[in-house]
Amino acid sequence: MIEAAIDGLLGILTFQSLAMMTFGVLVGSVVGFLPGIGGPTTLAIMLPFVMTMTDPMMVIALLVGIDAVGNTASAFTSILISVPGGAGSQATIIDGYPLAQKGQAARALSASFMASLIGGFIGPIVLIASLPILRPLVLSFGSPEFFVLTLWGLTMVAVLSGNTPVKGLAAGIIGVLIATIGLDPKSGTGRYDFDAPYLWSGISLIIVALGIFGIPEVMALASRKTSIAKSQDLGEGFMEGIWDTFRHWWLVIRCSMIGAWVGFLPGLGSSVADWFAYAHAVQTEKNKENFGKGDIRGVIAPEASNNSKEAGSYIPTLAFGIPGGTSTALILTAFIAVGIRPGPQMLTTQLNLTFAVIWTLVIANILAVAICMALTKPLAKACFLPFYTVVPVIAVFVFIGAFAAHFTNYDLVALLIFSLLGFMMRRHGWPRPPLLLGVVLGTKMETYLWLSYARYGLEWLWRPWVILLLGLVVLSLVMPIIKERRERRQKVATA
Amino acid sequence: MLMEENTKGKIEKILFTLFITCVFIVALKMSWNWPVRAAIIIWVLGGAGLVATLYQLGTDFKSIFSEPAKVEGMAFEAPLPEVGDSRWGNLEIWSWLIGLFVVILLVGFPIAVPLFVFAYAKFYGSRWITAIIMSGVSWGFIYGVFEETLHVRWPEPFLYRLFTS
Repeated sequence: MIEAAIDGLLGILTFQSLAMMTFGVLVGSVVGFLPGIGGPTTLAIMLPFVMTMTDPMMVIALLVGIDAVGNTASAFTSILISVPGGAGSQATIIDGYPLAQKGQAARALSASFMASLIGGFIGPIVLIASLPILRPLVLSFGSPEFFVLTLWGLTMVAVLSGNTPVKGLAAGIIGVLIATIGLDPKSGTGRYDFDAPYLWSGISLIIVALGIFGIPEVMALASRKTSIAKSQDLGEGFMEGIWDTFRHWWLVIRCSMIGAWVGFLPGLGSSVADWFAYAHAVQTEKNKENFGKGDIRGVIAPEASNNSKEAGSYIPTLAFGIPGGTSTALILTAFIAVGIRPGPQMLTTQLNLTFAVIWTLVIANILAVAICMALTKPLAKACFLPFYTVVPVIAVFVFIGAFAAHFTNYDLVALLIFSLLGFMMRRHGWPRPPLLLGVVLGTKMETYLWLSYARYGLEWLWRPWVILLLGLVVLSLVMPIIKERRERRQKVATA
Repeated sequence: MLMEENTKGKIEKILFTLFITCVFIVALKMSWNWPVRAAIIIWVLGGAGLVATLYQLGTDFKSIFSEPAKVEGMAFEAPLPEVGDSRWGNLEIWSWLIGLFVVILLVGFPIAVPLFVFAYAKFYGSRWITAIIMSGVSWGFIYGVFEETLHVRWPEPFLYRLFTS
C-alpha cells in the first residue's frame, strides 16, 4: 500500500502532470467563481482535448484538478453577492452573505477557504480509513435504504427552517414537486409540462437556485440603494477567519467526515453534502441563535464538507464504476477512454492510480486555496462598491447563469417565475433553503421509491436498515421539538 | 396606521399560503389519472404537503385575531433589509429586470447586457467613464466566454427576425 502511495505521488509530481494540474486548478477556480457555468460544463468542454492524451497521470491531474477546486472558489459569489457559484456552495449563503453585509466578507472568505483546505485533506484520509467498513455497507444498500436516506435528507428541512417547521416541510415538498416537472423517463407521461417542449426535460436546478436566492437579493440591494456591506471596514477579518476555522476544529473534522461519507453514496453527494453539514452544525452546536444571521460556523460547516465530499465521490466511481454525480460521470468517461478501467482492481493492482487521484485532490486544494486567499482582499472590497456598480453586474451574472442551463430564452422566463416565487417566499417568511433541497433530492427520491415499490410492494418497509433509517427520520423530526420544549421549560423554571 | 399595515401584511401572508395550498391541490388533481410510476412520489409527498399547508393556513388565519407568540429560534434566511424594501423600490427593480429580459428578446444578449449595465449605472448616478468601462467589460465577458470559448448559438433576436424576413 505504501509503495502504491509513493508511486501515485511520483506520477503526479512530474513537470507535465504538475503543469496540467495547475492549469486545471486555474480553470476550475475561474469557473467556480462564475455562477451557472459549473464544473460539469468545463469537464465536458475538456473531454475532446483529454481524449488525445496517452498518459493517465496527466488526465488525472487535469480533470481531478478542475473538479477538486470548483467548490473552493464558488464561495466567493455565495458570500459576496448571495448567488451560489456552484451546487456545493448553496448552504454557505445562509451565513456567509449576512457576514458580508456586516462588513466581515474577508473573515467569511478566509474561514471558508481554510475549512475547504482542511476538508480537502480530511476527506481522503477519512475515505481510506473508512473503506473497509463503507464498502460492504454500501454494497448491501438497495433502493429502499437509499429512499429512506433521501427522506431523511428531506426531513432535515424541519431543522433547516428553524422556527417555521411546517412552512419548511411544505417548501421542501414543493421542491420535490418542481423536480417532477417534465417527462417521466419510464412511462413517458408529461408531468406539469402544459404541452411546452421546454418543460419536457425538467427545470434546471441552477435556474431554481438563481431565481429563489439570486434575484431576491439583487432586489433587496437595489431597493436599499447602498453597498452590500453596511460597514465600510474590512478590519482584521482575514486572519480572524483563519483562526475561526482552527477554533472550531472539531466542527471542521465532523463536517469533513459527513462530506466524505455523503460523497461516497452513489448519486447523492453532489449538492447535498453542504446542507447535511449545515444542518448537523445547527443541530449539534451550542449558542445557535446566530445561525442564519452571520455565524461563522455556518460558513465553516458547509465549506469543510463540500470539498471532502469530492474525495468520497471518487470511491464508488473508481472501485465500483458507479459515478457519484455528473462531474464524476464525465471523468469516468475520460478515464475509460485513456485506459483506466474502474473496478475492484483500482483497490488492488492499480492502487497507484487511486492514490494519484487522492494526491491530486490534496495538492489541487492547496493550490486553489493559495489562489483564492490571494484574491480574497481585492474581491472582498466588492462589498463596498456603490450599488449601481454591483446590481447590474449581479443581475447580468444571474441572467447569464440561467441562460447557460439550456441556452434558450425560456430559461429566462423560468428564471423570472422562480424569482417571483423566491421574492414572495422571502417577503412572507417562507424559508427558501428547504425548497432547493427538495429540488435536489426530488428525482432521486422518486426513483428509489418507485424501485422499492415495484420490486418489493410494501415489504421493503420491514427491511432492518429501512427500519433503522426510518427511526433516524423520526428522530430528526422529533428531537428539535423536544429540545425546544425542554429549553422553554427550563427558561420558565429559571424566570 | 401601523395596525392597518400589520393587518394588510397578515392578509397578504394568508393569500400567499392560500396560493401554495392551491398549488398542492392542482398538482394532486393533475396527477390523479397518471400511471402509478409517474405519480407515486406526488401522491405520497403531495398529500403530506397539502396537510402541512392547510395547517399553516389555519395558523395564519388565527394570527389575524391575535398577536403571534414570539418564538425563539433560528431564522435560516439572510436578514431582510431594514430600509428601502418598499413597494415602490421593489416595483422599480422588477421593472429593470423585466426591461432587461425584454431587451434581450429584442436585440439579443451581446447588445442587451452592455446596454443594461450602462443604463443602470448611469441612471443611478455613476460617472460616464465608470459606466462605459463597466459596459465594455460586460461585453468583453460575453464575447470572450460565450462567443469565443463556448461558441454559444444565441437565439435570434426579435428585431433581427423582423428586419431580415
